[in-house]
Amino acid sequence: MLILKNDLVGKRMDMFENLLSGYRALDLTDEKGFVCGKILAALGIETIKVEPPGGDPARSIPPFLHGKPEINNSLYWLAYNTDKRSITLNLELERGQELFKKLITQCDFVIESFKPRYLDSIGLSYITLTKINPRIILTSITPFGQKGPYSGFKGSEIVVSAMSGIMSTNGDADRPPLREGPDTIYFESNAAAALGTVMAHYVREKTGEGQQVDVSMQEVAVKRSSSNLLVWEFDKCLIKRAGTIRTVGARSTHWIWECKDGHIFWSFMGGKPGSQGNRAMSKWIDDDGIENPMRAITNWEEFDMAAQDVSKDLLDAQQEAIRQFFLRRTKKEITEEGFKRGLNACAINNPSDILENPQLKARDYWANIDSPKANNPLKYPKYFFLGNQTENFVKSAAPVPGEYNDAIYRNELMLSDKEIDELESSGVI
Amino acid sequence: MNWRVLVSSRNSNTKDMELPALQGIKVLDFGWALVGSLTGKHLADNGAEVIRVESSTRIDLSRTNRMVKISSGNNPDDKPWYTHLNTSKLGLALNLRKPQAKSIVAKLIRWADVINENFTPGTLSKLGIDYNFAKTIKPDIIMLSSSAYGQTGPMAYEWGVDGTGLAMSGYLDQTGWPDRTPVGANAPFSDVVLPYINAMAIVAALDYKRRTGKGQYIDTSMVEVCTHSNTPNLLDYQANEHFRTRNGNRIDYASPHGAFPCKGDDRWCTIAVFNENEWQAFCRVIGNPVWTKDTKFADMKSRKQNEDQMEKLISQWTLQHTDYEVMHKMQAAGVPAGVVQTMADIVDGDPQLRGREFLLPVKNPELGIFGHPTPAYKLTKTKAKVRHAPSMGEHNEYICINILGLSDEEFVGLVGQNVFE
Repeated sequence: MLILKNDLVGKRMDMFENLLSGYRALDLTDEKGFVCGKILAALGIETIKVEPPGGDPARSIPPFLHGKPEINNSLYWLAYNTDKRSITLNLELERGQELFKKLITQCDFVIESFKPRYLDSIGLSYITLTKINPRIILTSITPFGQKGPYSGFKGSEIVVSAMSGIMSTNGDADRPPLREGPDTIYFESNAAAALGTVMAHYVREKTGEGQQVDVSMQEVAVKRSSSNLLVWEFDKCLIKRAGTIRTVGARSTHWIWECKDGHIFWSFMGGKPGSQGNRAMSKWIDDDGIENPMRAITNWEEFDMAAQDVSKDLLDAQQEAIRQFFLRRTKKEITEEGFKRGLNACAINNPSDILENPQLKARDYWANIDSPKANNPLKYPKYFFLGNQTENFVKSAAPVPGEYNDAIYRNELMLSDKEIDELESSGVI
Repeated sequence: MNWRVLVSSRNSNTKDMELPALQGIKVLDFGWALVGSLTGKHLADNGAEVIRVESSTRIDLSRTNRMVKISSGNNPDDKPWYTHLNTSKLGLALNLRKPQAKSIVAKLIRWADVINENFTPGTLSKLGIDYNFAKTIKPDIIMLSSSAYGQTGPMAYEWGVDGTGLAMSGYLDQTGWPDRTPVGANAPFSDVVLPYINAMAIVAALDYKRRTGKGQYIDTSMVEVCTHSNTPNLLDYQANEHFRTRNGNRIDYASPHGAFPCKGDDRWCTIAVFNENEWQAFCRVIGNPVWTKDTKFADMKSRKQNEDQMEKLISQWTLQHTDYEVMHKMQAAGVPAGVVQTMADIVDGDPQLRGREFLLPVKNPELGIFGHPTPAYKLTKTKAKVRHAPSMGEHNEYICINILGLSDEEFVGLVGQNVFE
């Protein structure tokens, strides 16, 4: 049975199995905004994807189940639309816009990632929505934000990565600047959008009034570069891409290393933060019985890489010894033995390593989820956080297009068979 | 510096006088390093009253960082990075190892709606001020603990940094050139994404408490949150036994897709062509050279197969133009493109970010006026308000006397016992 919003005022306690159960969001996003709705859905918000008839064009993003580019096979789409419902609705037709306005009366959130002013152009501006439902929260996730000279620009992960300065610091110096492998900008922007959305919700429940949340991916991404912004603003010094070196000030050291069977992350840091790991590294090189330039340091707590008395030659010699050390060992040896010794090194995991990771297994991190076209259930990350009073878990597969049409159009909007047939034949749903 | 003038003039606009979103919420903030500091910052910038508890006996790494010349070796308050991470908070210096500190913490818990912490798991239990303790004082407290691996499991007590999240989640495996060692950006990802999830969980828990009266303990893991960003690859491996690894700037569903060299020293513009319309527009912008008619580049599939050659041909054109020319020409034709901007381009020149007040000029007592990061998610009615970060112990007296209700004598007595160090 569908619960109308107004019935929720005197809620039953058992309804609150998630933090935000009992609310509803309409999710109009493409790939730039999938994750925000995924997070809201995990919080218990009924999140309904509104797809054009025929399905969201982003369903064509690879990789695909069985390598087949079919509408329910996009693993990218499946990954980020878990727990959502789907209805089809053509927002560019007048009848579609009318239906959308009806849905707005029974809805708490709208998430969208259209080009700014697109919703205005189809008569569904934020102002129009608030006239129908003043409580509505409209979260807009775009490459550059709702206003300003670049707001009309087309953007994607790589374009925003470039414009936000992230790419200028990523890659090898002798090759072009690089994007990051996963869609980190989309992901982080959507986490920011989810925060803004929940905050606006918190206000709305006090004041009764919704608002628009305007997320600029460029601005979200640029804020990762706090330290790089500062060295420019204060010292007019530019941080550039430097391969496996992380530039942190006057002295910069490697943080990614090759080992016998792959790669390792281990930060060679000064001061107290690095002291335990440095001491463990020095001891381990000693135990190998080879020349150890790290032994020159006796007090790692006071080893200040920015200080003048730490010579570049010494740092170079130490890093060469560390490089040789890692090359002699496997990922498994370095992480398992290193864990016991306090080295604090991590293997650079591939997908198989991640799925087999004992820590993630011990925390029951994986949800087995069946999807219509997969032969077997696939493991998805189950949660973004754990709460001791609520379960905010990823539970069900991403929907097929329009699987919730009956529930919405027939049962909730009480449309007749004839009306639904007409809407289908005229391409509205 | 012209952006400062512009931003300041915009600040004088007083039409939006509504209160910030979290006005009235009280937060006891043990957060430090990046994750904890930024979690508290999200709440503080949006109007929550956040008391940052810290100690010079276990100093925060951002208070010792000397990435800029103005920062000295021994002054905890001359570090602009610290101030970036801790805006809008109140500062209490408190040595948690002193036995007298516990009664102050107890009073703070009674005052607070929320506790935020990201010590290595187990630290607060050793100090006797963990969630179980907090609950005895305030049964409906909301407490968030965040860490590298989470509060439970065999790795729980191992500490981690930004790179831990990048390595464990597969980010590093996916980033770089196929023939080389992985690389990562010189800007944190894990450390910055986790605070969004943290603050979101806290605000959602506040709403839950409003409806149910129940508090909550929340446990977040950097590795777990970051792993979500790699989900498509994890599914691809499971479903198709496909080991996808790093592949430079190329992706499967766009071509051309990369950073192309432009006029000038180390200047680049990214171009991303996702469909046939964009390809046609791209060809028009570069003047429809003969090679674009070659069947080798006729459709996405052929372009993917001949990407090395195509990228060289495109570079011949981009090298004759500046990066901004390439971007504007492409964008005007409807082709996604963006300059690989440096921090100089961004701070001194980007009109888009400037218009969004991405850095707000705020006066810091030690460092003068400089840009402080505002929240990048703009709540259009309940706007964030950013103040400078507290100096070490700046609000000791105000907090103890005005907020916690200590008498002058009690406060002076504790000062004499070096509790506030």
